[in-house]
Amino acid sequence: MTARGIPNDVDTMSNTSNPQRPYRICSNCIMDTSDTNITFDERGWCDYCNNYHANILLNWHTDERGARDIEAIVEKIKLEGRGRDHDCLIGLSGGVDSSYVTYLAKERFGLRPLLYHVDAGWNSQQAVNNIEKLVDGLGLDLFTEVVDWPEMRDLQLAFFKAGVPHLDTPQDHAFFAGLYNFAARNDAKYILTGANYSTECVREPLEWHYHASDLRQLKDIHRRFGTRPLRTFPLAGIFKFRIYYRFVKGVRVVKPLNYVPYVKEAAMQELVDRFGWQRYAHKHYESRFTRFYEGFWLPTRFGYDKRRAHFSSLILTGQLTRAEALERIAKPAYDAETIAQDFEYVATKLGLTVQELRDLLEAPRKTYRDYRNDMALIGLGTKVLQRLGVQRALIR
Amino acid sequence: MITIVDYGLGNIGAFANMYKRLNLPTTVARREADLDGATHIVLPGVGAFDHAMELLNASGLRDPLDRIVADRRAFVLGVCVGMQILGDSSEEGTGRGLGWIGGRVRAFAGHPAAGRLPLPHMGWNDVVPARQTRLFKGMENYARFYFLHSYFFDCEQREHVLADADYGFPFPCAIGCRNVFGVQFHPEKSHHWGASLLRNFAET
Amino acid sequence: MLRPRLIPCLLLHQGGLVKTVGFKDPKYVGDPINAVKIFNEKEADELVVLDIDATVNGVEPNYKLIADLAAECRMPLCYGGGVRSVEQAKRISGLGVEKVAISAAALADPALVTRTAAAIGRQSVVVVLDVRKTSGFFGRGYQTFTHNGTRPGPQQDPIALAAAMEAAGAGEILLNSIDRDGHMKGYDLQLAREVRKILRIPMTVLGGAGTHDDLKDLFQACGVVGAAAGSLFVFKGQYRAVLISYPSAQQKDEIGSAASSLVTTFG
Repeated sequence: MTARGIPNDVDTMSNTSNPQRPYRICSNCIMDTSDTNITFDERGWCDYCNNYHANILLNWHTDERGARDIEAIVEKIKLEGRGRDHDCLIGLSGGVDSSYVTYLAKERFGLRPLLYHVDAGWNSQQAVNNIEKLVDGLGLDLFTEVVDWPEMRDLQLAFFKAGVPHLDTPQDHAFFAGLYNFAARNDAKYILTGANYSTECVREPLEWHYHASDLRQLKDIHRRFGTRPLRTFPLAGIFKFRIYYRFVKGVRVVKPLNYVPYVKEAAMQELVDRFGWQRYAHKHYESRFTRFYEGFWLPTRFGYDKRRAHFSSLILTGQLTRAEALERIAKPAYDAETIAQDFEYVATKLGLTVQELRDLLEAPRKTYRDYRNDMALIGLGTKVLQRLGVQRALIR
Repeated sequence: MITIVDYGLGNIGAFANMYKRLNLPTTVARREADLDGATHIVLPGVGAFDHAMELLNASGLRDPLDRIVADRRAFVLGVCVGMQILGDSSEEGTGRGLGWIGGRVRAFAGHPAAGRLPLPHMGWNDVVPARQTRLFKGMENYARFYFLHSYFFDCEQREHVLADADYGFPFPCAIGCRNVFGVQFHPEKSHHWGASLLRNFAET
Repeated sequence: MLRPRLIPCLLLHQGGLVKTVGFKDPKYVGDPINAVKIFNEKEADELVVLDIDATVNGVEPNYKLIADLAAECRMPLCYGGGVRSVEQAKRISGLGVEKVAISAAALADPALVTRTAAAIGRQSVVVVLDVRKTSGFFGRGYQTFTHNGTRPGPQQDPIALAAAMEAAGAGEILLNSIDRDGHMKGYDLQLAREVRKILRIPMTVLGGAGTHDDLKDLFQACGVVGAAAGSLFVFKGQYRAVLISYPSAQQKDEIGSAASSLVTTFG
């Protein structure tokens, strides 16, 4: 490997999936042709930028209108939650978005949330600290779903062996399935999430990050490469998520961060000052696995750098200049020595030798299409939601 | 090259691990030839003084180490019993030490100020540097380390004492003379303080 | 001066971490390796890992797991569970584990303690006494048990047993209250005090810690000892949500200061 920890024979700057297309980068944000389906207009603006201006910006209000809208929702939550121990559920990972929602929910809106955390076996010390600080600092109740580690490990290993990019599906799926299943089981009507346009209006393409909610895909990969049954692993299919829980059980998902001004840096500092919250090196690094996966594995093996989408979101929302973004993306997400130590840690956790993990790094690359999937159905659902104006971010 | 002496005692892996996390490569020396190229030598040790000296003498490393120290070809750090054997002798047994730093190892049990305290001295204790030294760089005002021992090094010359700790009375917990150092505590098991000390040693 | 120790105690059961109440009803707590890594990053004083299956099932300790755990620790690690021979103790010690804990085998044959101390050093041998209050007519009303509290140990009262283990060569006694395990209502201070009085070697107390004040109470009663806890460092709040925590450096100083007034002596 080179000093950057990248194998010499993987060309991370070109398009690993489509070598015919010449390299091109958006002139407004920094999304580029590592998203092989990206399109550009005459100005050189990509379809994410155009979608942002066409669909998101017009319907995103963080001023008095936003404040009024969220107040109305909060009133409903309080009303429906009367007489119960808690009036809403918050999925808390320890990351900045869910942490800030927790803070707003209690202090700004006066809600009585139950905090819900999924322990997938990869919590960093910062994540655990941050959850503790919020629980103590705000005086809130916590529930933890501890995923059976042998099942999680087996499923993660199955995804590695499947050779696909979306290795974070086991964690993501467990998180959402756990949260929604818990809500349904306990008759919770409102889930507050940290999802937000401010830092996520440019969503990674499905090529990089396929739907973790596609249970068919998860089951097929598990069937082919898993070695133990998923007996207690939190599972929920796309129908459960989007249809049954929503329309039959009446579970509503609220994204408070889209109704208030949300500037990531200021939000983090507020949490640090108020609660002794600890910062992470980058988004999603509350999980050791995610840090390794997004910071090293995905860029090295596939040439996909999720920071590109995140920084692009920050550019569109005025929190980062394009020049700053280009400078930051040019540096690897983290240094070679930490990568080497994480590499060993991940191998140990997965029950592999370092060489075995290296072999997987260099194995043939696959996509979600190589395995059974419900993409057609999900795609249809997405289109419907986009028509209804419910889904605004570009998902493709 | 940082070289950890393996003569049969001590947690070799823990030192190797600590240095690995500091991104400093190490080798392990089991035979004389393994000492070639050593610039910084870690001499671990647990258990009894006599036993440690017996093993070291039988390992084939005793004489090469004597020569390296005399010729000042490398720095040496003795840890725990590895520090005690740097001295001349010990109340614990009858054997002779390496004699690289003058002093006799004595029992806490016999000392009037510590004789009635639980033994061994086990746990985290504060360490006070006697003066500014490279070894405690960054920890001049405060440091704590993990101790696990029943005997202490009674140093012949006060100027060889680099730091004291207190267990009923102040006793030398770090010593140094020319290119030879010793610490009574376990830097390999003392979190970031231990990591700092080991890095400071490697940079000497 | 020497500080009192705050020691997370983790129980291994079928390869995963669990927490019990009264030594029963193991509740799954998660992956041992990540838990140890977090405690290491929180700079815990020491760590105790006990395999609660090995003795009962008569199996070997999981050496691979022990090695993986030791590699994550920049603080002393004590392993116990299924240790019956000097060879096993030597092997575990060789994996980088500072202390080896013996319970059932030591109570059955104190000479094992002597032999193990000779092999790996007295300071590395911990004898664990699992103790339950009994309502008998004789003795002080305490009885040691082995095999996860299912088999009575020797008839001797635990305090005399602790002294006997010290005489046999133990370097530390880990006193574990079965009754208080998992209840988070405080340590058995009476028993702890009595054992502390007769011991010359260091002692660690386990079973019942629920708050930082419980730790302080122990130090106030017994001076500089080890305070081990499972539930306190692994559960959070009224729903006992699994969340690893450990006192900060400042909190440790505050808790530990409760021990300073008492100069611990023996005899």
